[in-house]
Amino acid sequence: MSPTAEQLAAELEPLAVADFIPLPPPPKPAPVKPVAAPAAPAAEGAAAATAGATAPTPVPAAPATPPPPPKPVQICDFAAKGVNLDACVRPAEVVAAAQIMLRHGFAIDTVTGVDWMAQGLMEVVYDYFHPLNGLRVAIRCRLARDAGEVPTISGVFQGANWHERETNDFFGIRFTGHPNLTPFLLPEDATYHPLRKDFTGESAQ
Amino acid sequence: MKVLSKEEALASPHSIGGPNETFVLNLGPQHPATHGVLRVKLVMDGEFIQHAECVCGYIHRMHEKMGENRTYAQFLPNTSRLDYLSAMQYTHAWVGVVERACKIEVPQRAEYIRVITSELNRIASHLVGWGAWVMDLGGLTPILYAFDDREKILDLLEGICGARLTFCYYRFGGLVNDVDDNFIQGTKAFVPYMRERLKMYKAFVTDNIILRKRIEGIGMVSQDMCRRYGACGPVIRGSGIAYDVRKAEPYSAYRDFDFDIPVYPQGDSMTRYLVRMDEIEQSLRIIEQAIAKLPEGPFINPKVPRSIKPPAGDYTYATEAARGRFLIRLVSNGTDTPYRVKLRTPCLSNLSLFEEASQGMMLADAIAFMGSLDLVIPDIDR
Amino acid sequence: MDPQAGCSPVQPGLKLPPGPASDDIPPECSSLVRFAKLDDLLALGRANSLWPLTFGLACCAIEMMATGMARWDISRFGAEVFRPSPRHADLMIVAGTVNKKMSVAIKTLYDQMPEPKWVIAMGNCAISGGPFVFPGQYAVVEGVDKLFPVDVYVPGCPPRPEALIEGILSLEEKLTGTRRWPKVETE
Repeated sequence: MSPTAEQLAAELEPLAVADFIPLPPPPKPAPVKPVAAPAAPAAEGAAAATAGATAPTPVPAAPATPPPPPKPVQICDFAAKGVNLDACVRPAEVVAAAQIMLRHGFAIDTVTGVDWMAQGLMEVVYDYFHPLNGLRVAIRCRLARDAGEVPTISGVFQGANWHERETNDFFGIRFTGHPNLTPFLLPEDATYHPLRKDFTGESAQ
Repeated sequence: MKVLSKEEALASPHSIGGPNETFVLNLGPQHPATHGVLRVKLVMDGEFIQHAECVCGYIHRMHEKMGENRTYAQFLPNTSRLDYLSAMQYTHAWVGVVERACKIEVPQRAEYIRVITSELNRIASHLVGWGAWVMDLGGLTPILYAFDDREKILDLLEGICGARLTFCYYRFGGLVNDVDDNFIQGTKAFVPYMRERLKMYKAFVTDNIILRKRIEGIGMVSQDMCRRYGACGPVIRGSGIAYDVRKAEPYSAYRDFDFDIPVYPQGDSMTRYLVRMDEIEQSLRIIEQAIAKLPEGPFINPKVPRSIKPPAGDYTYATEAARGRFLIRLVSNGTDTPYRVKLRTPCLSNLSLFEEASQGMMLADAIAFMGSLDLVIPDIDR
Repeated sequence: MDPQAGCSPVQPGLKLPPGPASDDIPPECSSLVRFAKLDDLLALGRANSLWPLTFGLACCAIEMMATGMARWDISRFGAEVFRPSPRHADLMIVAGTVNKKMSVAIKTLYDQMPEPKWVIAMGNCAISGGPFVFPGQYAVVEGVDKLFPVDVYVPGCPPRPEALIEGILSLEEKLTGTRRWPKVETE
């Protein structure tokens, strides 16, 4: 029953989308280094991926060129990144992706929110690990920064219930269909979202 | 058993006095047996729990926000204060993720010493967890012995890094200073001493009929439940799945050592207890091998830059902490402060299955079950 | 009363240090007779049997537990009876970070303790918020003395068990006016 990274890449392919956030440029201009292409995945995964990936678009007025966009489903070097597979899906598809993970016997690791204020996006990263063969998969989706919504996966992985509540606490991301989206780590009456990049601490006093 | 929601529990027709005879009992946040500030709202039908809701956040200390306000080196003390009983393993994950991102090599001697100190910390942590759990069940003596053994470990670790609890011994590329002969001789003497103590603990505590009656068959956790909640550590190994980050995603020098992963299939509190006791023995095996083969060499990579600036991107690193799988997800934007630090802690995943697993349990058994999860609440709240 | 006067062993014929206990003894009374105010006796009793509340919040709680265990043995000072209920306790050792969410509960516990009661703020977090104070911090109360008065501050992160014992001894000195052991003079 233990899947391989290539098998998962093929299954996640239909859900994936080539969604690229250019990372904020570092403060000092750095010389442009050619980035080596990741290790070539198995045939069916690669063909569909290269067909779907967009060419790297240079970001205008940036002092340094950001790295080229990742393919929507990418098999990664574990020693360099800590994950075997990194996939970017549409927000509406996270439940389907979670069901694929559950069917293959994965366990939910964590749900992370990242605030990309400069790009007006929020990113939600779902980490999974496989207890039998140790595979690591990260599935990410990007949504609008304000009033962003993504369906809850707590129907599939009940452990995500608390992780999603915490992400909602910190970022204000709404998980639609969540049975109890109340503050988890913050006080019950908290209305602030501390890990947003524009949080200054005054609203919490 | 169907997991009741709070409304269903309060209106349960099965309660002894009839419908709507359940009551709400508050456990915590100040309670001697919750191992920290955890609050659990219990809907009780007499002695039986119909619904449990954990309320966390009473010791939320903003570690993830501090990750964005501190440089990489300034965040090192924070890592010790998450699960302070296994501080070395948490610091290991932080230095590991930065070393992975910046591709910093660690000398072999430093890796071996990291393994030795992490395993000593694991033994100390299991002793505290074991002693405190047996104390919750009413056995007030083993904790004194546990803390006594722990003091011996802390003497060794204090000799090399100066701290007793919140060590900050690892640095990017190695350690803050080398170990001395006192540490090596002391560790070599500690291993047989601890093995003798384990025999005594087995005879007096593990085989004790009162303990066995209290924890056998209590808190059944199935493999499917472990997957759905992401439970890890002794919880998943006590349910029959041999998952240990040291074998699944080998890091540091663990590939060089020969050790087993204790696994028991039954999935009750007794198996989680036995997993922890066996893990102490396995840690002693690792320490023995590492101390015997300790290589010479530098204790830190001399070429580590003064200001750490990992290349922009996402990195993760996982270690096997005493309570389970600890993962750090680091998002770097190329500057000397992280953009986002996500700390995936084992106690949060382990506690999240409490609501489902405690359905229908008696309150005293729920306390025994919580002790078997070996919680440290600042690990949950971060 | 001279706070630096140590406790001397009682021997027949011993010359007592000057003070209210020895000033008014009639000459026909044996030197084994002592006169004291009831308050002093009560303070002696309270100082030597402080009953702490089991109130560990975070990392300092482990060092507090270690102080109660066999090696550091707080029971030598009569303070090993940790009571879970605030109604039975007279000493609250705030060991750990005080959170805004938790501050309501801490204040309730303090109010529930009957008088006379004392508070030891153990660790940097309880003294001033500790390492968790930064601009824009939203969750930590910067020191438990923002909620209620503190008698003894024990710094450290976490303080060693010896430091907590020194805190208990300082509290005893505050109660009785005499120190159980002489202060250690540092070089």
